[in-house]
Amino acid sequence: MLTVQNLNVFYGSLQALHDVSLEVREGEFVTLIGSNGAGKTTLLRTISGLLAPASGEITFRGERLNGLSTHDICERGLIQVPEGRELFPRMSVVDNLDIGAYPPPARRQRLQSREEVFRLLPRLEERRNQDAGTLSGGEQQMLAIGRALMARPSLLMLDEPSLGLAPILVKHIMEILQELNRQGLTILLVSQEVRLALSLADRAYVLENGRIIRSGTGRELLADTGIVSAYLGL
Amino acid sequence: MLYELVQSTVSGLLIGAAFAVLSVGFSLTWGVTQVLNIAHAAFALLAAYLGYFASSYFQVDPVLVLVVIVPLFFVLGVGIHQVLIKITAQRAHDLALSSMILTFGLAVVMENVMQVLWTPDPRVLKTSYTGKAIFVGPIAIATTHLISFVLAMLTIALLYVFVHHTLTGKAVRAVWQNPTGAALSGVNMGRVTNITYGIAVATAGIGGVVMSLIYTFDPSTDMVWLVYIFLVVILGGVGSVLGALLAGLIIGLTVGISGVFIPLVWVNLVLFLALILLLLLRPSGLLQR
Repeated sequence: MLTVQNLNVFYGSLQALHDVSLEVREGEFVTLIGSNGAGKTTLLRTISGLLAPASGEITFRGERLNGLSTHDICERGLIQVPEGRELFPRMSVVDNLDIGAYPPPARRQRLQSREEVFRLLPRLEERRNQDAGTLSGGEQQMLAIGRALMARPSLLMLDEPSLGLAPILVKHIMEILQELNRQGLTILLVSQEVRLALSLADRAYVLENGRIIRSGTGRELLADTGIVSAYLGL
Repeated sequence: MLYELVQSTVSGLLIGAAFAVLSVGFSLTWGVTQVLNIAHAAFALLAAYLGYFASSYFQVDPVLVLVVIVPLFFVLGVGIHQVLIKITAQRAHDLALSSMILTFGLAVVMENVMQVLWTPDPRVLKTSYTGKAIFVGPIAIATTHLISFVLAMLTIALLYVFVHHTLTGKAVRAVWQNPTGAALSGVNMGRVTNITYGIAVATAGIGGVVMSLIYTFDPSTDMVWLVYIFLVVILGGVGSVLGALLAGLIIGLTVGISGVFIPLVWVNLVLFLALILLLLLRPSGLLQR
């Protein structure tokens, strides 16, 4: 479904990604792990068209994404929940969700999508008229996920959705992702919750210093003592 | 004294609405693209001249000329964004600063062209209702002031509905609150900024016609108007339609009421003292939380 081939990305003269290749197949739950500064966010930002790669190819459902603008990529159903949520703080929960339905294919189903989001994330309905900036961290993360779902994605990429949240909320968010995946949504999850993320994943990749150094099924990587000790500090 | 106070309060409020509509577009482009469009008032002045010549040569009411000015200025705004701002944004390190110098240059060019075309003579708009007034008890309301007030309030109301109750308007707010978040939500940034500039310059056109109903103008008046714009936007907070309205009314009232107590030439002094106080106490505007 999503294929990244030999991707090289630079910040000025500094190379952030080296020949990164990865694949996400339809219906899969894929996890990308790696320490801080490994290039995980850079990879997602490049896939979403916020950064331009120096070389390499990104294809989604057989179509080349290189050179497309971010809104064109969103229109094709490839949606990202960014690190730090990037909400609109002085707009209500409902308005934040409405913006999520901005891509023309999603626009007509806006009200129906909103109902579905409220069913999945009832907390958002309770807060529907509150400004996003006044929500708690967990609620903001749910809003970021809800906003992404409003675009009716076929592949959802999430960048550290559990960052800074209490363990019980982390677990809750992972359960939501698992449920979405069960309903047929393809997921690419970037997370530092290594054990939890790997246990959910069909397959996983390890990114280190801008290179993919390991890949395999979630279970394989979880059984790899090297990985577990490197990223869990055990 | 009481009579003068009430009279000046009323006319202050009417003038204040004109200040608000003159400024609200400047606030929008500043909020959405971090661009201080110094030429904003020059576009308003251009509209004032277009209205003036339409009424003096063709006997068309300047308010009716808005039917042409609004769409024309919308296209002009989109053009300014596409040709000047976008290219500057791609090349400049500090867009706020470079766009300020760029649009200042544009304002100077526009002022000089207007001076060559239409001479430096101050112009007084004459309409069929100039000099007429409506009396509410003993209070006189100049018809020109009343028409400019209605026009200004109507524009502000439409703009408010657009920004708060349409998807494109919400996208405009989204872009100014968080450009990255807006882009990742699939908002077409180029289209939204084009629309913002179109609306901003179109409201500058309305603002210019509205101001010309109240004040005389000449080719350098845009710099006087720019001062009012800065006052309104700083007081009301960047990118807020209601803030601009409230600030415009407050400044109109200040101008009106202080005119009762002190000579007119001192009114600007009062305004700027108020501005300094404001920047010290509430640097991000009245309505900002």
